Amino acid sequence: MGIKVDLKKQYSKAEINGKKGTRKAFMLDISFEMKNELVVLFGPSGSGKTTLFKCISGITQPDNGKIIVGSKVYYDKDRKINLPIQKRNLGYVFQNCTLFPHMNVRKNIECGLDNWEKEDKEKRVMEMLNLLHIEELETHYPSQLSGGQKQRVALARALAPKPGILLLDEPFSALDMEIRTKLAEKIRNLQKKIEIPLLFITHNLEEAFLMADRILILYDGKAQQFGNPEEIFYHPENLHVAELTGISNIFDDAYVEEYDEKSKSAVLKSGSLRIKTKSPNLKTGDKISWGIHPENITFLSPDSSPENQENNTYYAHMNNIINKGPKKRITLKLVKHNKSLTAEVPAQYVDSLKLHVGGFCHVRLEVSKVVAFQRL
Amino acid sequence: MMDQIWFPISLTLWVAAISSILVLCSGVTIAYVFARRDFRGKKFLELFMTLPLVLPPTVIGYFLVILVGRNGFFGQMVFDVLGKGIMFTWQAAVIAAYTVSLPLMVYTAKAAIEAVDREIEYAAYILGKSELETALQITLPLAKKGILAGLILSFARAIGEFGATLMLAGNIPGKTNTMSISIYSAFQSGNNELAEVLVLILLFMSLMTIALTDKFAGKLEV
Repeated sequence: MGIKVDLKKQYSKAEINGKKGTRKAFMLDISFEMKNELVVLFGPSGSGKTTLFKCISGITQPDNGKIIVGSKVYYDKDRKINLPIQKRNLGYVFQNCTLFPHMNVRKNIECGLDNWEKEDKEKRVMEMLNLLHIEELETHYPSQLSGGQKQRVALARALAPKPGILLLDEPFSALDMEIRTKLAEKIRNLQKKIEIPLLFITHNLEEAFLMADRILILYDGKAQQFGNPEEIFYHPENLHVAELTGISNIFDDAYVEEYDEKSKSAVLKSGSLRIKTKSPNLKTGDKISWGIHPENITFLSPDSSPENQENNTYYAHMNNIINKGPKKRITLKLVKHNKSLTAEVPAQYVDSLKLHVGGFCHVRLEVSKVVAFQRL
Repeated sequence: MMDQIWFPISLTLWVAAISSILVLCSGVTIAYVFARRDFRGKKFLELFMTLPLVLPPTVIGYFLVILVGRNGFFGQMVFDVLGKGIMFTWQAAVIAAYTVSLPLMVYTAKAAIEAVDREIEYAAYILGKSELETALQITLPLAKKGILAGLILSFARAIGEFGATLMLAGNIPGKTNTMSISIYSAFQSGNNELAEVLVLILLFMSLMTIALTDKFAGKLEV
């Protein structure tokens, strides 16, 4: 069991953001397959994530293509099938609370169980209340619940009719970080238990990596990369993926000087800079972009080894240090190569290494963390 | 004297009640369709629905006479079936009251239905509820405040209806003399005492309506 999606749908960003005026048309053009796993849809707003959910759920109709969930054909343009929204048997939790405000928690959960026998219905509601640990909220009305409780009830309501697929559209965006992390773990465990395909939309990078079996990166309506979190994080396939996964140091003036097929290691030349990296799928002479996550830049003690391009160690000048709470963001300039980098380090290192604005230091770009990807 | 007071009161309440029930059923349906469906000519229909709000009641009465009079399309049909006309009966007063108060219901209810979050309805569809079930169990209960406000407004408007009623139902004592019409004719014939009593009662009824609206609006806070 799993799902298979291959669809095209024109949409406009303005419509999605609910703003009138600038209406630019985009084409959602996406094709993917997934098993009973948790896939996170990750992309900037307007990349088509919600439009995709609306197509799968039947709220809107694609212009073309197929949507198959398990053994059910939801939509097939060629065979003129468009299963009514009521018959799709899916669970959907919206970004905003969509609990029915005039019904208590029990009634809300019962809503999808109209055709069940009375006894089965009661049993199922109890199961759901237990599953999400909301037994004590049974008779509460939505207005009496906190944000986290509301979304747990919404989840219980969505799961009650035993859906064949679960769609969660940024269900935690209104919650604070602590509850968010707890619920994210809860959902991850739930998915393993109930074994249905689960698609999860989020804007939050940490959440994406915390939850996903696989991540599907969307940009301007197109799938950019589909893979497990490690692959996405360390082997972005293009600039969009690199930027979305938080690589703020990106240079697109490089080419592959040497590539060793066996060890998958490469030497890149970027201006006067030579950088070592490990990356599959490169060829000597490839024109590429490279980058590194700000937190993968290591600061060495000032009196340590001099600049050594063999292990990506460079001499740098610190232009600026910004406090970001537990971390500090340091803007660097590689002195000999005229390249600026941003690094993020735990605040205590800044003190112990006596890093200060205007000072000099040695930094190392960890070989295994330098990413190389195709230029756009 | 007692009869001169009691008959107009009971007739007015009766006419307003029947008209309000009709307004409730048809007005909410029309409001739902306006709020949730798109079709050709919708804008035109919406404008047409507004007309009774801005037209002088006598003009509405005139059109209604054309429609339900003995030679009118609707009047003729009723005459063929029942063997009598509608004009100058209490039913004619109901038609007049219905016509002038329907737009109030449609517009208040439409605004209330539009205010119900579309996603809440989608959530119900996804849980397997049909559109009708969703409308009856989710949308309309959530819009009940606006619907009730529309109902009270329509009822108040029906009680005060004068112009169209006079043209359609006339002023037949003991048959079609509603309160507003009785006040007018009492005043015209110099029976100030009766006019004053009826005016006071109508004033009291209006105050009651306002008080009721206030009470229900407070109670219906979701």
